[in-house]
Order: sequence, then C-alpha cells, then structure tokens
Amino acid sequence: MISLASYLAISFALFVCGILVMIARKNIIAMLLGIELILNASALNFAAYTKFVNNNLDGHILSLFIIVIAAAEASVGLGIVIRFFQLRESIHIDDAATLQN
Amino acid sequence: MFTNTLFLLSAALTIGGAVAVVYSHNLMHACLYLLASLFGVAGLYAVIGADFLAATQLVVYAGGVVILMLFAIMLTGGTGNKINRYGLEKIASMGNKKTYFFAGFAAVITSLILLKIIASVLRAQPTNKVLAANDVTVNKLGVLLATDHILAFEISSVLLLGALIGAAVISRPRKERHD
Repeated sequence: MISLASYLAISFALFVCGILVMIARKNIIAMLLGIELILNASALNFAAYTKFVNNNLDGHILSLFIIVIAAAEASVGLGIVIRFFQLRESIHIDDAATLQN
Repeated sequence: MFTNTLFLLSAALTIGGAVAVVYSHNLMHACLYLLASLFGVAGLYAVIGADFLAATQLVVYAGGVVILMLFAIMLTGGTGNKINRYGLEKIASMGNKKTYFFAGFAAVITSLILLKIIASVLRAQPTNKVLAANDVTVNKLGVLLATDHILAFEISSVLLLGALIGAAVISRPRKERHD
C-alpha cells in the first residue's frame, strides 16, 4: 500500500486542489493558500522519490529548500497583501490591475 | 500495521484538508483546513522515514506560515470583510459551451499524456533500493548541507535575509509627507 504510486497520487490530488484554488478564488490570501498546497505537493514528490527510487538524500535537501522558499514567499506575499489593503481597502485580485496609482 | 494505519490517516487528512480548502466558504476555516492538510503531509513524511522533514514541516508550516496567514486575514478585516467570505459560488458561470468543449479536449489530451508517463514510471519502479526503515536522517542531512550543498545553503540564508528586510519594508506604516 505504501508505494511510489500512492504517493504520486496523493501529491497529484494536492496539486490539483492548489491549482483549483488559484483559478477559482478571487481573494489574494486564498490564492496564497493554493500556492502553499502546490509547493507541498512538489516537496512530497521529492521525498517519495528519495525513498522509493534512489537512496541518497538529495530529495530531502530539495524538500527542505522548498519549505524555506515557501516560508520566504509567504512572508513577502502577505506583506504585499497587507500593504495593498492599506492602499486600496480591498483584497480582490481584480482590483490589483495597475502597477501605479 | 501501525505504519499502514498512519499512512491511511495521513493520506485522508491531506486530501480531505486540501478539498476542504477548495470548497470552504469561510477563509478562516480554509486556513485551518490548510493546517490539517499540512499536518497530514508531515505524517506522510514520517511514514517514509523522513523524520527531519516531518519535524521541519510541523515547525515551519504549523508554527509559522499558517499563523502568518491567520494574521493577514485578521489584518485585512477578518471575516467581517465581505471578500473573505467569498467562496466558489461564482464558478458555475465561468464558462459557456465553447470553453467547456476546449476544456474537455485539453483534459483528454492531458490524461493521455499522464497515463503514458505514469505507466512508464510504474513499469520501471526499482524496489530493491529502499532506504532502511528506522534510519535517522538528521546526521546525513547535516553533513550533506554543510558539504555538497553549501552554496545553496548560503544562498538560501541570503534569500531569508532579503525576505525579512523586504517584508518589513513593504508592510511598514505609510509615512505622511509634510514638505
């Protein structure tokens, strides 16, 4: 039951859920939630391939870097969202259509 | 037996949490469902023997990212803000017959490609090179990070410093000009 195929299926489900969140929702914070789901799916794939295909730990290293980058991306993204809310008083994605003013 | 139970519970938690993130109408609830999904992913890491990854997942995501998301939701008005209660109720009006036709066509082609790839992956699956079950990975990960992957390690430290300064600069309170 614990096999590469089941891990790939789980991470595929996570990835599809993340893409669906990013497409369907119009809220910037909800889209960030979708990005977190997608990054988790890729990190899970790396760890599963380390376990079942090759037995050096490079996949774990890549998963660690994915987690680090996700944390950095979340902090900067949420900072941008809060700044945007201060300026426009909205977090609808369609309100973020211009770069200036 | 215990491992199988843990795997099933973690998989159910992961997929159920992700689906609940998609279909939840309240953004606060969606954030908590994301927390459940991340706990499930940590359990999946633990099942395949990635102990340090599981701990890092719990510390960074459950302790950091989800709390940060909750703070951001509350700072943008919480659930009193109307957009934060906006779910997927508009998705039925996203397409017409033509776009559905093209989407179905693309889905068929994508599923064929995926079947081709997954079939080759399953056929060429080597099962003799599996990590030992109770092998602690922290020592080896530390050595690898300090020797083979030292450049990426340093670059990620610079990235974290940049993210820290960038987040502080971007979200600082607006200064009024008096000149």
